[in-house]
Amino acid sequence: MTSLKLTNLSKRFGGVVASEDVNIEVPTGKIIGLIGPNGAGKTTIVNMITGMLPVSGGTIHVGDTDITHAPAHEICRAGLARTFQNIRLLGEASVLDNVMIGFHRHETSSTLASLLGLPASARETKALKARTMELLAAFDLTEFSDYPAGGLSYGHQRKVEMARAVATNPNFVLLDEPIAGMNDVESDALADIFEGFAQDGKGVLLIEHNVRFVAKLCSYVYVLDGGKLISEGTPDHVLSDPAVISAYLGGQDA
Amino acid sequence: MSNFIAGYLPLFDLYCLHVGLALSQFIVLRAGVFSLATAAFAGIGAYTAGILAVDLGAHPVLGVLCGTLMGMLVAMVLSIPLARLRGVYQAIATVAFIQICLSLNIYSESITGGAMGLNNIPKTVGTGTLFVFAALATYMIWAIEKGRLGRAFNTIRQDEAVAASLGISIRKHQMLAFAISGALAGLFGSLEAYHSYAIDPRQFGFHLLITVLSYVIFGGRNSVIGPLAGAAFLIILPELARPLAENRMVIYGIMLILVINFMPKGVADTAIDAIKARRLTAKRGDSA
Repeated sequence: MTSLKLTNLSKRFGGVVASEDVNIEVPTGKIIGLIGPNGAGKTTIVNMITGMLPVSGGTIHVGDTDITHAPAHEICRAGLARTFQNIRLLGEASVLDNVMIGFHRHETSSTLASLLGLPASARETKALKARTMELLAAFDLTEFSDYPAGGLSYGHQRKVEMARAVATNPNFVLLDEPIAGMNDVESDALADIFEGFAQDGKGVLLIEHNVRFVAKLCSYVYVLDGGKLISEGTPDHVLSDPAVISAYLGGQDA
Repeated sequence: MSNFIAGYLPLFDLYCLHVGLALSQFIVLRAGVFSLATAAFAGIGAYTAGILAVDLGAHPVLGVLCGTLMGMLVAMVLSIPLARLRGVYQAIATVAFIQICLSLNIYSESITGGAMGLNNIPKTVGTGTLFVFAALATYMIWAIEKGRLGRAFNTIRQDEAVAASLGISIRKHQMLAFAISGALAGLFGSLEAYHSYAIDPRQFGFHLLITVLSYVIFGGRNSVIGPLAGAAFLIILPELARPLAENRMVIYGIMLILVINFMPKGVADTAIDAIKARRLTAKRGDSA
């Protein structure tokens, strides 16, 4: 079974240690949580995995592929998709176009065909459009396909972003605070989608603030504080761990 | 009637040439590169073709081919240092590049004819050839827009982080956009050399940069119709305002200011957006 594996991952900004010896493993078909209070270093971890920040020490593997120092666009090709903490869509482009670009890494028509407008290029565009519409249907977004993505409600924009991530057909999905700012109905709808990912055999790394949401969804949870893992295990085990409680609510001497 | 058409033929020639250059400017902007080097690439193409024709008596087909390739080659080399810059810094660097080309051109008098320019280039390109090339260039940009490359360019322009997270190589695509831009500018520069008997260095300087950039800004940056419409408006309108004599440039300036203020997306893109919005409203009306 392949997995997304972080081994002794470290990041130092000059003398400041943003993360130290972090070991996380995300197997396929499972939802794994990563929680921690503000400033714990969650986003640093995300940025290192996705190639936005250079790694100071340790390694990141997707299956057998070492992506520790790979540039951002190659990480997607290794089978890792992500969503952004603040939703990032192409605001003026239609929902259809936004999701369609997710298929980029599976496009096969040659550069020459695309330059000269050969039939191969037109066929591919047509086929991708059909696949995009199928995907939109799966996400209940069909009726919005022609609307500019920037005009959609927050919950719908998040769904468009999920559809785009799925379009890359990843083995692993990195969700960076996906339900921030959502109400319970919207977050429940997303929870169903995430469980669908796991059932499809994708590995999900869920980075969240909301402990209740993580406890409900995840089979295994890592807790980060001050750049270090302070606890890991099943949600029940982690949430009753005194180290976690003191990190979130403050310790006895705090 | 035929006299009337003949009178406007030079204007049409100018339109075809400038459409090519406007498309060259359009394609880099589309890929999110704020390069203004089109004028320099056009000059490189024109001088390559001109020198081949005057000094070596080369066939025009060879001259145009070499001019195009030279423009493309220089653009690809230039894209390497520019990949480290973004936004306005790219613009400044490319303006500097135009000045460098201009100075080199004036100083290397033995090859380029210096400030006097190149004369006696045999005129071998007529209206028909210009039109065919302008149509081909428009088709190519339209094809790019419809396919994989257009989608990648759009994504990079709007959000580089998203593009990278979806597996789109920014460096590769921006270099490709540069290559296309350089080839187009080189092509139309060399066509201009074969069309106008003589070329001189100042023709490919700051003034051309502003002219070409105005076409794209005036017309629109998203649809291929933008540069076509922009060039048409800005070439025809000063002609219509000919009775105003020296005040013509004032009209040009006022138009540009009005469009930038009230239609920041350009004339063509604003119209296309309006049509799209109307279609969506109609659709909603049907389903409700």
